Amino acid sequence: MVSRRERAMAVVLGIALPLAGLIALEVASRAAWVNPIFLPPPSAILATFWAIIASGGFVAPLAQTLLLLFIGYGIGCVAAIVLGILMGSSRPVFNLFEPLTELLRPLPKPALLPALILFLGLGARMEITIVALGCFFPVLINTIQGVRAVEPTMINTARTFGHGTMAIWRRILLPASAPYILAGMRISLGLGLILVVTAEMIAGSGGLGDSILSAQRTFLVKESYAWLVILALLGLLLTWLFTWVERRLAFWNAPQTQ
Amino acid sequence: MSIATNRRSAKTGGASGAPVAGGRLLVDKIGKSFIGPDGAAVAAIGSVSLDVAPGEFLAIVGPSGCGKSTLLQVIAGLMTPSSGEVRLGEQDVTGEPAHMVYLFQQYSKSLLPWMTVANNVMFAFSHRFKLSNAAAHSRCRDYLAMVGLADFASHYPWQLSGGMQQRVAIARALAAEPQVLLMDEPFSSIDALTRLDLHSLILDLWTEKRFTAVLVTHDVDEAIFLADRVAVLTHRPAAISEVIETKLPRPRHSIETRESPEFLALRHRLLKYLLARNYEGAHG
Amino acid sequence: MTQAVLDPGARSLPRPRVSRWRDTRATGVLLVLALFALWEASARFGIVQSTNWPPFSTVMMTLVAGLGDGELTPLVLSTLWRMARGYAIGCALGVTIGFAIALYRPVHRLLLPTIELLRPIPIPAIIPPLIFLLGLGDALRLFAIAFACFFPVVLNTIAGVSSVEPVYHQVAETFGIPRVTALRRVIFPASLPFILAGLRTSLGIAFVVTVIAEMIVGNEGLGNYLVTMQFAMKTSEMYAGIILLTAIAYLLNRAFVAWEARAIRWARLVEAMRGDPR
Repeated sequence: MVSRRERAMAVVLGIALPLAGLIALEVASRAAWVNPIFLPPPSAILATFWAIIASGGFVAPLAQTLLLLFIGYGIGCVAAIVLGILMGSSRPVFNLFEPLTELLRPLPKPALLPALILFLGLGARMEITIVALGCFFPVLINTIQGVRAVEPTMINTARTFGHGTMAIWRRILLPASAPYILAGMRISLGLGLILVVTAEMIAGSGGLGDSILSAQRTFLVKESYAWLVILALLGLLLTWLFTWVERRLAFWNAPQTQ
Repeated sequence: MSIATNRRSAKTGGASGAPVAGGRLLVDKIGKSFIGPDGAAVAAIGSVSLDVAPGEFLAIVGPSGCGKSTLLQVIAGLMTPSSGEVRLGEQDVTGEPAHMVYLFQQYSKSLLPWMTVANNVMFAFSHRFKLSNAAAHSRCRDYLAMVGLADFASHYPWQLSGGMQQRVAIARALAAEPQVLLMDEPFSSIDALTRLDLHSLILDLWTEKRFTAVLVTHDVDEAIFLADRVAVLTHRPAAISEVIETKLPRPRHSIETRESPEFLALRHRLLKYLLARNYEGAHG
Repeated sequence: MTQAVLDPGARSLPRPRVSRWRDTRATGVLLVLALFALWEASARFGIVQSTNWPPFSTVMMTLVAGLGDGELTPLVLSTLWRMARGYAIGCALGVTIGFAIALYRPVHRLLLPTIELLRPIPIPAIIPPLIFLLGLGDALRLFAIAFACFFPVVLNTIAGVSSVEPVYHQVAETFGIPRVTALRRVIFPASLPFILAGLRTSLGIAFVVTVIAEMIVGNEGLGNYLVTMQFAMKTSEMYAGIILLTAIAYLLNRAFVAWEARAIRWARLVEAMRGDPR
């Protein structure tokens, strides 16, 4: 049992470092130890951040980024889960697609951006495609592993009670491999965010990635940092949200393995 | 749970339908071989024949790794035999027969961790018997009450002890109302005292429900205490070397039965037999 | 990080009997070949009419020529050298800080919240503001690569050291082994499988981030080459670059996996022994 004092101590220590860092930056910038033009004091960045929030200027880029991210992520995950289940449960299907998967998996997905731009232009279709492609592989690999890791005893249990193939899929294989699938989806969500931002930076057609790079190119230093703060918050929020969903959907996983 | 095991046969617990009469379980010259890592066929079961009367309790004992579980899985229709056939009553057993249920040794893997205890039990019958939601729940409660776990319906299996988990598995197996219950070393990963308790429980339930019971075990005491007949399996490829009728009176009692001269004589005979075979197996 | 455990129940479901041919990946290799053939045919016979779609054979010849005449080789080396430096910095920091966090409670409390706070930042986003601070040179790209590599390594190191069986600590204590020796001889090897898993994850990340950084800023490396070739509409060169990047990523990963397997052979032996109930 952790005492109250100890917990308070942990919180204080946890906040101490970021706080000290911000204060150091503030002092260094105000005292001009670093060039305040290139590294404005955090208080000034915060003010700009608030200005962007208050003016609602963040809404359009954020909405665009999130929309494209979720569409691409959804397509990539669903396709990967379906193919992963097939590959994990059927040897011939696995043999058919494994070499292709092995060939495409190591491809650094951002490298596909120039090619995709040629075919799909600079807009939403290109961005959705790159996100879907990037999210596909982690989920695919994890789904295959998850389906293969299902205890034969669980399947035999369903069989001895006379459940058919469909019920075994729905009530045994899918839930049993859910922890693996969700772990893959967690990796893919982070990757998808990276890819959508990269694509926006290269395409320059709206979204948070475009906002941050445009701010840099037009020498809006404080805005550039403020957009970074917004993107960092978005990443943090998505992580928290996913962890929460994962705990609810695969609730049995943690206590069982304790 | 009372220690003495006994009682009437006809009266059934409130939940169940008609007592299951069922037909004879015939195992006719079953053989099973696997493809080994080198591609050659390895025989797990040579040729095994069994004839189990409806309502009988048969135990199959044999040394570790002799193919007992394989035999039981073939009987359950979970595995196809390489030769021979299994019949229940008039029907050939292929696939998973509706009237046989397999009780697994690994209760922790057989109970589904994402379902509550109640949902695990309903998993056994909800798709077969078209019951209303309320009827299904009440049936589930009745079976859980039979194993003394009525209060744990909304728990998850992993919140229960090993003995309790196997009780849930037993309740679930019986909730499917099988004519034949096939038990694969169901008590082997349970501590010794709880195991005695579960022996009494399974005998009580068997007396009450009158299903045919086939138990596979390496525990000679368990086999004698529970069964009407004990079949002894040889080393791989498995074959039946002897079938012994226990002829111990029922109801059986946890302590007295195990101390009776008849019990000890059977135990002596079986152990001597199995140990001699082990010795041969190790040196021959 | 799941480990295969020998499962006595697994033998109850024997693999279905399969013929030798069906057990190979012949169908899969054929599928890949068919797709390449389709690429070739669609470009050659004008099914896809586009300058964006050169035949596969042309792309491969461009690749071979590029490697042969030394146009691509310096780009590859420049990308790899950049990646290696950033990766080394990120991993060294990750392992060191990971050990400090796992072994000392105050360090744990001081650093972990900050790490959790910084980890979800999408890497490309840190590049534009950092251009102001670090300029357009390699310092910026090295920072981005090291930053991205740091997190998997530090988290896996913490997990690895924390997972070391208390028995190992006790064994070290029983024999009166000094702390530094215990760290080097007991804790480090026992947590090595985790650390290596983190290093492997980071290797892939390092390569991707290197390419991203080269694409967004600067005029060096394969990432920049891709973007330049796309602008110049030299599509054969662009596809050749993509294929080259894929090949490098594949080889890097295979080399690491082979080395990792040798480094932690003992760990798998321990796992196998633990998994066997008898």
